[in-house]
Amino acid sequence: MAANLMNWLDERLGWRSVWEAIFLRKVPHVNWFYTLGSATLFLAVTQGITGILLTLYYVPDPAHAYDSVVYITTQLPMGWFIRGLHHWGASAMVILTVAHLLRVFFLGAYKYPREITWITGVFLLLIVIGFGFTGYLLPWDQKAYWATTVGTRIIGVAPGIGEWLLRVARGGSELSAVTLARFFGTHVWILPASLLTLLGVHLYLVIRIGISAVPEKDE
Amino acid sequence: MSKSTDEQVNRRDFMKTAIIAIGGVIGGAIGLPAIPYLIGPAQKQDSEDWVRLGAVSKVELNVPTLFKTTIETQTGWINAEEEFSVYVLTENGQDYSVMSNICTHLGCRVRWIPDQESFFCPCHNAVFAKDGTVVAGPPPRPLDQFEYKVEDGFIFVKRG
Repeated sequence: MAANLMNWLDERLGWRSVWEAIFLRKVPHVNWFYTLGSATLFLAVTQGITGILLTLYYVPDPAHAYDSVVYITTQLPMGWFIRGLHHWGASAMVILTVAHLLRVFFLGAYKYPREITWITGVFLLLIVIGFGFTGYLLPWDQKAYWATTVGTRIIGVAPGIGEWLLRVARGGSELSAVTLARFFGTHVWILPASLLTLLGVHLYLVIRIGISAVPEKDE
Repeated sequence: MSKSTDEQVNRRDFMKTAIIAIGGVIGGAIGLPAIPYLIGPAQKQDSEDWVRLGAVSKVELNVPTLFKTTIETQTGWINAEEEFSVYVLTENGQDYSVMSNICTHLGCRVRWIPDQESFFCPCHNAVFAKDGTVVAGPPPRPLDQFEYKVEDGFIFVKRG
């Protein structure tokens, strides 16, 4: 019965060949460091889920942002847990992404024919850092406010266009309601959309080309 | 490959089971807390409290008297003041009936029209009698009554 249903679906969806391509592809004999990419991917998924849950209550407005975060943490059942996962997951994301990059770098896995996988990966790291930077402001507490004051000020020291870039990042000369709203919009729309696009290319290439073997001594 | 087919199948099955188990744990760790997180605000009971309306001597005999007061409410992360109005009626100066000014049809505010001796709702032309019973229009039941108490010459109603 179940087999019949699976066959019926496969005839129409062709899911078996997709499944085989993704999960039953041949991989070389590698070590645990090769799981860092998958770990990053899983963490990205949990960040997405907990982030979506947080948007149900979070309000990106200076009058209510902090209060809504306090409400999530202290009033809502399991709110502290959902926020905690997102908070610590964010740090873990950066650590895992960098660890994954170092593995790829030191084992030479960025070389032909995997250059595009590497390049998309580097941009994915930048996106992860962007998530961290924009997300840090959202609780709108003292730490968030001053960290973002300093962080955006760093953009300002770029030669020539620095001052202008600073104004673009803040949406004005000072940190304000505009800054909070644009950081929120970047955090929940622009960065996730960019992440999904680049991740699609990244994973397509991992599956299409396959992963590299651990280099031999004489290579 | 020197390993027997048996061993390979076992290894594969072990990995499959492990992946499903770990995936289930991760899914449960997020999925289960998500349920109280989502339905939490709906479960929260509105707090009951006694609201002081004003001096009981202000209630006129046989005329529904409007009492307006503001009450502090907390919804989510917002503290706000909400206007709370009720009509108080007494026929003997001893027993009172405290009626909500919210129409039982669709929640518009009703108003006492002294000339016509009745409550009138502007939304769908509902008419309620002095005691809150439905005279005309679509409301399914009389105006809601509040529990009340009189202490030290002040009238209080229970809200919630």
